[in-house]
Amino acid sequence: MKKKAYFKADEADTGLGKFKGLEVHIGTIVDDEWDEPMGPTPMPNPTDLRAWDHKLLNRYHPSYMPYCQVCCLCTFGKCDLSGDKRGACGIDIKAQQARIVLAAANIGCAAHLAHARHLVDHLIEEFGPRTELIQGPGTEIHAPVSRLVTGMRPRTLEDAAIIVSYCETQLAHTLSATHTGQEGSWLDFESKVLHAGMVDQVGMEIADLVQISTMGFPKADPEAPLVQSGIGMMDTNKAIILTIGHNIVPAASITDYITEKKVGNKVEVGGMCCTAWDITRRDPSAKVVGPISWQLRYIRSGKADVIVVDEQCIQVNVVNEAKKVKAPVISTSDKAVMGLPDRSDDPIDSIVEELVSGKIDGAFIHDHHKVGEVATKVALAIMPKRRKMKFFPSKKQIQKMAEECKKCSECIRACPNDQPVMEAVLAAQLGNFEPLREVYQNCIGCARCESACPNDYDLHSWMVVAAQADCKDETHMVRTGRGAIQDIEIRNVGQPIVFGEIPGVIAHVGCANYPQGGKDVHDMCEEFAKRRYIIVTSGCAAISAGHVKDENGQSIYERRSGEFDAGGVLNVGSCVSNPHIAGAAIKIAAIFAKRNLRGNYAEIADYIHNRVGAVGISWGAMSQKAASIASGFWRLGVPVIVGPHGSKYRRMLLGKAEEERAWTVYDARTGDRVVVAPGPEHLFYAAETVAEANVLTAKLVIRPNDTGKGRSIKLSHYIDIHEKYYGYFPDDVWKYIRRDTDIPITLKDKIHTQMKENKWKEGRIIDPTLLKEQVMGGGK
Amino acid sequence: MVMRPVPWQTGEICGPESAKSLSKADVLKRDLKLCKKLLLIVGSEAATEKYGKGDMIDYAIALSKAGNMDVIATGGAIKAFVEKGFDRAKSMGAMEVAFRLQDPEWVGPFGKGPYDMIMIYGMPYYMQWTLLSAVMNFGTHITAISISRFFQPHAKWSVPNMKEKQYNALLEDILGLVGGGK
Ligand code: SF4
Ligand code: SF4
Ligand code: SF4
Repeated sequence: MKKKAYFKADEADTGLGKFKGLEVHIGTIVDDEWDEPMGPTPMPNPTDLRAWDHKLLNRYHPSYMPYCQVCCLCTFGKCDLSGDKRGACGIDIKAQQARIVLAAANIGCAAHLAHARHLVDHLIEEFGPRTELIQGPGTEIHAPVSRLVTGMRPRTLEDAAIIVSYCETQLAHTLSATHTGQEGSWLDFESKVLHAGMVDQVGMEIADLVQISTMGFPKADPEAPLVQSGIGMMDTNKAIILTIGHNIVPAASITDYITEKKVGNKVEVGGMCCTAWDITRRDPSAKVVGPISWQLRYIRSGKADVIVVDEQCIQVNVVNEAKKVKAPVISTSDKAVMGLPDRSDDPIDSIVEELVSGKIDGAFIHDHHKVGEVATKVALAIMPKRRKMKFFPSKKQIQKMAEECKKCSECIRACPNDQPVMEAVLAAQLGNFEPLREVYQNCIGCARCESACPNDYDLHSWMVVAAQADCKDETHMVRTGRGAIQDIEIRNVGQPIVFGEIPGVIAHVGCANYPQGGKDVHDMCEEFAKRRYIIVTSGCAAISAGHVKDENGQSIYERRSGEFDAGGVLNVGSCVSNPHIAGAAIKIAAIFAKRNLRGNYAEIADYIHNRVGAVGISWGAMSQKAASIASGFWRLGVPVIVGPHGSKYRRMLLGKAEEERAWTVYDARTGDRVVVAPGPEHLFYAAETVAEANVLTAKLVIRPNDTGKGRSIKLSHYIDIHEKYYGYFPDDVWKYIRRDTDIPITLKDKIHTQMKENKWKEGRIIDPTLLKEQVMGGGK
Repeated sequence: MVMRPVPWQTGEICGPESAKSLSKADVLKRDLKLCKKLLLIVGSEAATEKYGKGDMIDYAIALSKAGNMDVIATGGAIKAFVEKGFDRAKSMGAMEVAFRLQDPEWVGPFGKGPYDMIMIYGMPYYMQWTLLSAVMNFGTHITAISISRFFQPHAKWSVPNMKEKQYNALLEDILGLVGGGK
C-alpha cells in the first residue's frame, strides 16, 4: 500500500473520473466530470508564471539588507561580496541575498511538504487511497488553492498524492536553483521565491485537507470548540504528556489511547505550537499549553512527565533539557530523531521499562501506533515520583547565587530582545524579583542569555520562578482551528469585502518571536476586530491572540464570533491551515465574481491583488516556514507585515508611492491605462512597533477596486488609527481620493484643504487589472 | 560592560568592513566638513531613552536645530515630536528609509535631499543593524554615523558601546560640533 502512495502522475487511476492523459509537466489534465474549463497554467513549472511575478516585482522592489557580506556555500569561497565584488562563481551581493531568500523559502516549503507527504502516505496506509476528502459542509469549492494551481480537484487521498508529487517536483527545481552556478539574477531568484511560496500553499492545503477529512477535526466549523489553554490550565494532579511540533499523527495516537483505555481522569495531553491546535481539533479535551517559545519554561518546570516531539520548530536540545527534569523524550519523526535509540520494533513493555527506570533518556519510535501506549504508560508510572521532585531553585537560592554576578553584560548582549537581564539579576541579589518578572514578559525563551553567562546561571529558569504567579494565571479559553471558510460565508461577505465596506481581512499567523511578548498580537487583533475588520488567526499567533483576558475574564475567542464576518475572530488552525486564508480570498473571486479557478493562477492573483483588502501579519515570524508562507501570499498579491525581527529576513518588497509607472493599471472595461492610488503600497514589510504595524495595516487594505463608500470607510479608519498612534492627521489622504464620494463625510473640510494644497485632480473608479489579457475583448 | 568597538549583540557580526570607533566627537570633523546635506533618523526607542533631564527626542530636536537637519522619525516616534511641538520631523518606516537611502537621487519627505550623510539612533539594535547594512552595501553615496550607545558595525562611524555617563558627554560634544562646525 505504501508504495502505491508514490504515484507517478501519468500512471494514476484516480477517482476524478476518466483521465485522458495526465501530463504533470506539460500540465494538461482532463477531469471529464468537471466542466470548468482548464485555465492557462495547470501545474505550472518555475517559469510559467514568471510574467506575473515580474509585474509584482516591477511594482514592489526588493530592498536588500545583507546579513553577511560573504558567501561560504562552496569551496571556491569564502567569497567577499562587499562593494561591487563578485564571488568566484560570478554572483554579486544582490543576487546572493535573493539566493538566501530562496533558500529560506525552499526550506520552509520542504518542511510543510514533507509533512504533507507523511500524512498522505500514512493515511493511505490507514484508510486506503480511495478515501474521500471532505473539507466540510458548505465547501463546494473545496481545496481552492489546489484547484487554482494544479487544475485538479483533489477528491481522494490518491488525488492528494498526485498533487504532492507535483509539489515535490517543483521544490526540487527551485531548490536546485540555489546551487552554485545555477540562477544568477536577483529577479529570477525572486520569481522562484514566489514559486516556492505558491507550491508551499498547495502542500499545506493538502496536509490540512487530508487530516481534516480523516482525523475527526472540525470541518469548516465557525463554532469549533473552545479549549483550555495556558500553563495554568494543566492539571498537575494528572500525569502530563507534552507534545511539541506540527504533526498530529503521533499525538493522535496518545489521545486515542487515553480515550480507548478510559484513563483521561489520570493523564492529560498538552500541546505546544501547531501540534497543540491539531490535537485539540481532534480531541477538545486536550490542551494548548502555549506557543513555541514556551517550550523551555514549561519543560523546565518539570510538570510534563513525558515529552513527545514530532517535527518542526522543536527545541533541538530537548533531550538535555528534559533529562535535567527527569522526563523521558519520545521522538517520532524521521526528520527529528534527536539522537535517541530506535526502539520502534521492540515490545512495548520493554520500551516502557527502560524509560521508566531511566536506563535510556528517551526513545525514537517511528511506529506511531506504539507511541500512545508507551507515552501513556510511562507518564502514569513516573508521575507520582516526579511530583515530589522540585526542579526550580527557590527565590532564596537565586538571591544567593546572584551575588556572584560578574556584571559582564554578556547576558544582555546575547538577548535578541535586548532585555536588561543583568540589572534584573542585580535586583534579585537584593531580593527584588520584579525586574526578572518583567524580563519574563518580553522573553522569547531562547536561553541565549544563559548560554552566554560565564557563571552558567539558569537565567531563563530564574525568570520563570520570578513570574510563577503569571504562569499560574495563564488560564484561557481559545477556539481551536475551524478549518476552511464556508462558501456561504464568502457569499455573504464577498461583496462588502470587494467593495471595501468590510474594510479588510487581517490574518495573524506564524511564530512567537515577539519583540515584546505575545500580548501585542492580541492588541492588534482587537484594534481591528472592534472596527469590524475580519480577523483570521493560525499557528502560534492564534494562541497568543487568545492569551489575554478582558475585564470579564474572557478571551478574544470567547467574546467574538468565529464566523468569517465583520468583527469575527476566527482561528483556522495550525500552520498548514494557512491556505484556508488564501483560499477564502480565492473563493471570493470564484463565488462573487464567478471567475474560473482551474489552473488560472495569474488572473485570480490579479483579482485578489486589486480587489480583496487582505493583509497578513506575522508579528513573531521566525522560521523559514514563515518565509515560505509569506511568499505564497505575495504571489497572490497579498501584502505581509512582520515584526521588527522580520527585518532579519534581509529583504523587503517595497513600493514607491510616487512612482506613477508602477501604479498604472488597465481599466478592464476600456483598456485605458490609468494611474491608481498606491494601494497596497508594500508587499513585504517589517514594522518597528505595533503603532507602525497598525497604521500600515489600515493603509495596506486599500485596493484600487474600492467603491466610493468602501474607500471612505477604509480612509476613516486609516485616519483615526494614524491620529491615535502617530498623533496627527495623515498627510497622504488626498492621494487616495478619486472622487468626492471617497471622502469620509465628517472629515470633509480637512481633506478638501489637503486636496487643494496638493493640486488634486479628479480620478476615475475603474475595473482594475495588471493583465492586458483581462481587458474586455482580450486587450487587443 | 564592553567598551570595544564590537557588535553589541554578540551574534551580529558583519562582513569584511566594519565601522570606525566614534569615541570622540572630533573624529567626525572632516566628514562633517565634506558633507553637503545631513539627515537625522530617529527610531521608536528614542522616546524612552533618557538624555539629561529629558529624553532622546529632546536631543534630536536640539541636534536638528544645531545642525539645520531634517529629521525622519521611524516606528511611530513621530508622535513624541508632534507632542513636543517640533515640526521639522516627518514619519517614515525604518524599512522604507533603508530602501530609499539606496537611491542617490532620493530627495526625502521634505523634498530637500538628496542627502549625503545620515546620523541615526533609537531603533531596536538589530533593526538599525539591518538598515545600516542596506546603506553600507547599496547606499554608498552616504556617510552613515550611528550615534546610538552601542556599536553598529555597518556605519562608517559608530559609538563603540559606551557607559551612560561617557555617552552623554559624547552626545554633548557632537551637538557642539554640529552646531559650531556649520
Ligand atoms: S557559491 Fe559563489 S560566492 Fe558562494 S562561495 Fe561559492 S563561488 Fe563563492
Ligand atoms: S531567554 Fe529571554 S531574556 Fe534570555 S536571551 Fe532569550 S529572550 Fe533574552
Ligand atoms: S552574564 Fe551572568 S555574570 Fe554576566 S552580568 Fe549576566 S548574569 Fe551576571
